[in-house]
Amino acid sequence: MRGIAVDIFLGLGVAVAIMSSIGILAMRDAYQRVHYVTPISLLTPVSIGIAILIQSGWSSRSAQTWLAIGFMAIASPFLSHATMRAIRIRETGDWRLTLPKQADQAEEPK
Amino acid sequence: MSAFLVTAILLLVAVIPSGIVVARGGFPDAVVAFQGIASSVVMVLALIAEGFNRSGEFELPLLGAVLIYGSGLVFVRFMERGL
Repeated sequence: MRGIAVDIFLGLGVAVAIMSSIGILAMRDAYQRVHYVTPISLLTPVSIGIAILIQSGWSSRSAQTWLAIGFMAIASPFLSHATMRAIRIRETGDWRLTLPKQADQAEEPK
Repeated sequence: MSAFLVTAILLLVAVIPSGIVVARGGFPDAVVAFQGIASSVVMVLALIAEGFNRSGEFELPLLGAVLIYGSGLVFVRFMERGL
């Protein structure tokens, strides 16, 4: 029974990773591709972490694995946000929708 | 071969589409695909450690998880500056 549960969670993790990786390849631009990084860095590690937890029980192995997963779960959204921001700055020169100078010009009375 | 090692091999196979993006895409696309590959590789390290039943090697995914965040920010910074 434990082996079946381990296999299920490992298979789930691999399936998510394969589909997300194909999604990264299939999307048109980097903005769309960022969305497919999140399942690889969140769902796959959690699924594999559960499998290791079932296999090893409460041990230093599962603790270190879950520490790594916890760090990835916290860091991944920050990294995705920073990546999108950097792509926008690279393309338009600023991350804001309207630059401050343009906003001032728009607010000036005619 | 245990299920963990088979999963590690399959995860490495899953990296191939992202690797194509790294090789053929532009710099922003490559950075995004690199982040996906790095996350997969961290899990591969954990799976190898579990598959070969070596407790000491579980430190590698932990270090990897910290380092991919730092390396990702470095690439993002370079990308922001237009390199």
